[in-house]
Amino acid sequence: MERLSAFEIIGHVMWNFMPVWIALIIILAASIHFRSRLGLYGKLFDSPIGIAGLVLVLFWVLTAIFADQIATFDALDQISGMKNKKPGWPVNGQEGKFYILGGDNLARDVFSRMVYGSREVLVIAPAATLFAFMVGITLGLPAGFYGGRMDTVLSFVANLVLAFPVILLFFLLVTPEIRADGPEFILWGGTKWIASVPNLMALFLFMFPIIFFVVLWVSRYSTQPQKLAIYLAVTLVIGAWAYLGLVFNADPLGIFYMDPNLLNIFVSVVFVNSPTVYRIVRGVTIDIKTRDYVAAAQTRGERPWYIMLWEVLPNARGPLIVDFCLRIGYTTILLGTLGFFGLGVSPESPNWGQTINEGRKLLSLYPHLALPPALALMSLVLGLNLLADGLREESLKD
Amino acid sequence: MTEPILEIEDLNISFFVRAGEIPAVMDFSCKVMPGETMGLVGESGCGKSTVALGIMRDMGNRGKIVGGKIKFKGRDMGEMSDEELRDIRGSKIAMIYQEPMASLNPAMKIGKQLMEVPLIHEQVSKEEAYDRALEMLESVKLPDPARVMEAFPHQISGGQQQRIVIAMALLSKPDLLLLDEPTTALDVTVEAGIVQLVKELGEKTGTSMLFISHNLGLILETCDRITVMYSGEAVETGSVHEVFDRMRHPYTQGLFNSIPLPGADKNSRPLISIRGQLPLPMERPIGCNFGPRCDHYVEEVCNAGPVFMQPVAGEDKHMSRCMRIQDIDWFAEPERRLVDDPARPGEVVLDIRDLKKYYDVAANKMFGGGDVRTVKANESITFQARESETVAIVGESGCGKSTLAKVLLGLETATEGQVMLGAVSIGDTEVNDRTRKTVSSVQMVFQNPFDTLNPSHTIGAQIMRTLEKFGIGETEEDRKTRMLELLDLVKLPRAFAERMPRQLSGGQKQRIGVARAFAGQPQVVVADEPVSALDVSVQAAVTELLMDIQREAKTTMLFISHDLSVVRYIADRVVVMYLGHIVEQGTTDQIFSPPYHPYTEALLSAIPIADTSVEKQHIVLDGDIPSALNPPSGCPFQTRCPRKAEVGGTLCETEMPPARKLGDGHEVKCHLAQEVFDAMEPVIVLGKKDSGSDAKPAVANAVPAPAALVSSASEASAKPAPKNKAAPKAKAAAKKAPAAKPKTTKAAPKAKAAAAKKEAAPPQMKKPANPDDLKMISGVGPKIEGILNGLGVYQFQQVAKWKKAEREWVDDHLRFKGRIEREDWVKQAKALAKGGAAEYERVFGKKPR
Repeated sequence: MERLSAFEIIGHVMWNFMPVWIALIIILAASIHFRSRLGLYGKLFDSPIGIAGLVLVLFWVLTAIFADQIATFDALDQISGMKNKKPGWPVNGQEGKFYILGGDNLARDVFSRMVYGSREVLVIAPAATLFAFMVGITLGLPAGFYGGRMDTVLSFVANLVLAFPVILLFFLLVTPEIRADGPEFILWGGTKWIASVPNLMALFLFMFPIIFFVVLWVSRYSTQPQKLAIYLAVTLVIGAWAYLGLVFNADPLGIFYMDPNLLNIFVSVVFVNSPTVYRIVRGVTIDIKTRDYVAAAQTRGERPWYIMLWEVLPNARGPLIVDFCLRIGYTTILLGTLGFFGLGVSPESPNWGQTINEGRKLLSLYPHLALPPALALMSLVLGLNLLADGLREESLKD
Repeated sequence: MTEPILEIEDLNISFFVRAGEIPAVMDFSCKVMPGETMGLVGESGCGKSTVALGIMRDMGNRGKIVGGKIKFKGRDMGEMSDEELRDIRGSKIAMIYQEPMASLNPAMKIGKQLMEVPLIHEQVSKEEAYDRALEMLESVKLPDPARVMEAFPHQISGGQQQRIVIAMALLSKPDLLLLDEPTTALDVTVEAGIVQLVKELGEKTGTSMLFISHNLGLILETCDRITVMYSGEAVETGSVHEVFDRMRHPYTQGLFNSIPLPGADKNSRPLISIRGQLPLPMERPIGCNFGPRCDHYVEEVCNAGPVFMQPVAGEDKHMSRCMRIQDIDWFAEPERRLVDDPARPGEVVLDIRDLKKYYDVAANKMFGGGDVRTVKANESITFQARESETVAIVGESGCGKSTLAKVLLGLETATEGQVMLGAVSIGDTEVNDRTRKTVSSVQMVFQNPFDTLNPSHTIGAQIMRTLEKFGIGETEEDRKTRMLELLDLVKLPRAFAERMPRQLSGGQKQRIGVARAFAGQPQVVVADEPVSALDVSVQAAVTELLMDIQREAKTTMLFISHDLSVVRYIADRVVVMYLGHIVEQGTTDQIFSPPYHPYTEALLSAIPIADTSVEKQHIVLDGDIPSALNPPSGCPFQTRCPRKAEVGGTLCETEMPPARKLGDGHEVKCHLAQEVFDAMEPVIVLGKKDSGSDAKPAVANAVPAPAALVSSASEASAKPAPKNKAAPKAKAAAKKAPAAKPKTTKAAPKAKAAAAKKEAAPPQMKKPANPDDLKMISGVGPKIEGILNGLGVYQFQQVAKWKKAEREWVDDHLRFKGRIEREDWVKQAKALAKGGAAEYERVFGKKPR
């Protein structure tokens, strides 16, 4: 069987991404059709930069969703004789199958690894950013709103975290040794839980989303006890369940589970990102709290947390949405960097950063090992930045 | 003939945005002659600033001149190269903007910024530039110019900054100065100083000016000619006196009817707002832009096609963009919605005694320590407010009026003193510690309509939340019904419940603010400049709404304002504050007539009044309001007080004056001697002849007049003039007080009414056999003569017998605004009646007309 030509390689790649193209066209067509009713998202389609960013981001999101359909092999499948083979190489013994972008030094398919790599990034990055936002918002709102001593202390801590070199912090937090270092506790069902630094941080940081939502509902519906009870019950049940699963690895149903390695990265990323979010929220709050509608809320006897969460926060959404997109980009790069240093991920994971690092060693001989994940990483981050630019531009208009 | 400095012919400016082309200025023409000041007046969005930017050719990448010519000294600016334009800008044409701080470079010393002008435009030496800058600073009356030259912009006050900007504009000795709302960001007393400066400089240097403002009073004080703009078009242009006294466009008339001039009264002569709102630039109607809002709109005439500027008969340069100049009866008294059951103040609801509010400002927050400085925002505030009463709190920025509001609402607690709401003490209770009832009893209407509603929630949700907080309504459904009722109350369609605040205009938002404040049946509503950010035509509507609801609900209203015209119109009692102290308080009449506190006197003289018949004293205060962080010793006003010398000694510097009771609750904090108070002249006088007798508006006197006239009707033969007027007078009286004469309720156009009157007129009112030529009286034209005849006045004899009441009544009836007094018709008529033209010539030294 012949090796594929460059033209055929492109054709194969395009063909394999077919589910993504179809979904992309459907989403874009629907969005453009209903754009007048979609608020800020709809306005995004007026800005070419915004559209470009959105297409790039959507491409990778859809790739992550349809990874099983797109990838031609498993991320860990090794096929003999395919080591470091060039792109478009036919697979030994399997008629009509190719390593579209070649094989790596362990004879795995580079294309499939790149596709599966998107999953690693697109699950952790947005989730970690979301958690960082919860932490930043929950602390930034009162700091900006009350000011005074509370603000001083919180801002000081935030500055302290920001002043610490990130990579050094990661080396400290993500190394496997630190994970095993701490007193052990035996939980119900015989699960072991070590009170190590990352685990304690998870204990602390994962509480914020629950606190956030509880305060959100209590402040809004305290005058309507029935509604409040329902919202609170749902929040607490789901929150406690997820909390048990993620922090203690003790989910009785086994749905919420996070690999200890992943938990380390996750917690570290949240920890590093939240001070920046805190600072943005604090700044915007200081600005918004001087508005008359905040005073109007005070004069009708609203409690501080209602004002923070229902009067101030919705109006801070503009800068927060933009920062959210940018921050996913940073987190993606951060994850890549961590992978590049081999921190916190298992050696066989198709994670882009790690793949780039492995390919780097053979770069002069076999550039096809490092290039696909590098281009993938670049295009995703570029897309996120363009999207943030577009959102910012559109949200500033009228 | 001299050449105009600036000549604009059929200027059209459009902005090109996503939605397409938006015409901002259409067919705009005007001429500015050398040494002349042209006023450009209109509401926001009417295109007045765009005209100025068009002259500067600085409209960004969106704006474009799509038609017409702008000629500067006879040269078409459209044909000039960029090079030439750059040369002209800043040297031949200079512009002064609204925000002084935004016009100055914060990173450069003022001296350097000033020196740039001659350095760039005239290439003089540095020394020469410095000298010129210093000289200019002296001529804009800045104290200690050498020090100011070395200062950065943030180190001097707003008023001084604006003086610097003016100095900078004048340094290049421009031929044309464009002033775009130069005083809007400043306090009233500071504004008065700037206005005087601009006027003086204009006279001294002979610079032509284009003065853009939304404030008609300001235009009257500064300009020679005026152009009124509406929705991108000039609608009326002429000399200030032509336009102010003989307006010939319904919009101009509407504007004047909606601003509280002296003479307006909330019960007997309420304001008339212009209905509807400014059309969006894309949705302008065919024909007359003002058509949909105009009372004189006639189908097929006003919307037949484009309306062009038309000359007003008999007046050379007076033009109006109205199809029906000839048809509309410009003297008709508009129908006013009179209030027949004015609110009567009841029990004391709010009792504030010796309230003090101090803030501590620490230099270093993190580690404490440092200097702790105290800001005394409120000092021994004592006053009461009764049920249904409107108490105005007047003062400029930094006087502590907003702090007072905050204490009342519980956003701050009092440092000392007591605030009683009924029997409850609320002075030191935070809003979160107040009971639900107390919270809903004290509510507020906020100043800025664009800030008062949360942009993220729907209107309905925001009102519902208020109701929920106040515990009104058992269920969601109840509250929804109540919310819709509140929307009805503030005269907004119920569909607005689903709208977001950004879909509402400023006036509509302010109505929602009113609805929200009145949601919980409050006892006290604090209205913090509720209309000052709105356009003139909308202001009247919102003010009326606020007063209507207040009257219905018998609410006490604390009306915080710096605008004394509105205060005079709306308030029952007035509290004047300066630097945290109440310097004067009393009923509205007491405050607006002497004796005054010197600060009140200055404040009164500073408000621009859009009435040509008003005579004002000009008291311009020196300097700016001192900082509350570092208040002057003794009397807070002593640093700026023009009457300080009359006290003598160092009393003012050393001692805070006690509250002097001048009777009937009138209190003044001043060291001035009683004789000085007694000798004070009124600041605002209507008409020349009346000076000294009465500062109150003429109408206040005119109201009792009809009764006197009617009762004297029996002595007809002795007093022909008043008797002749008795019938129409009674009619007007009936209109004002329906209870008195219920049978005459007709509101037909005046001309028709006059005609009907003539037929039914009693013998003495019929045209006499020997009517005099009233036109011989200077000031009476054929048209006015016709109107006077309509009123039953045919002879000099009749006019000669006019007393004050009659003069005012006719004046009020004809909307002459004091012309009778000014032109002294009575004296003229006396002379004419006595010996005809010969006697007239003897008395006046000239022939009658």
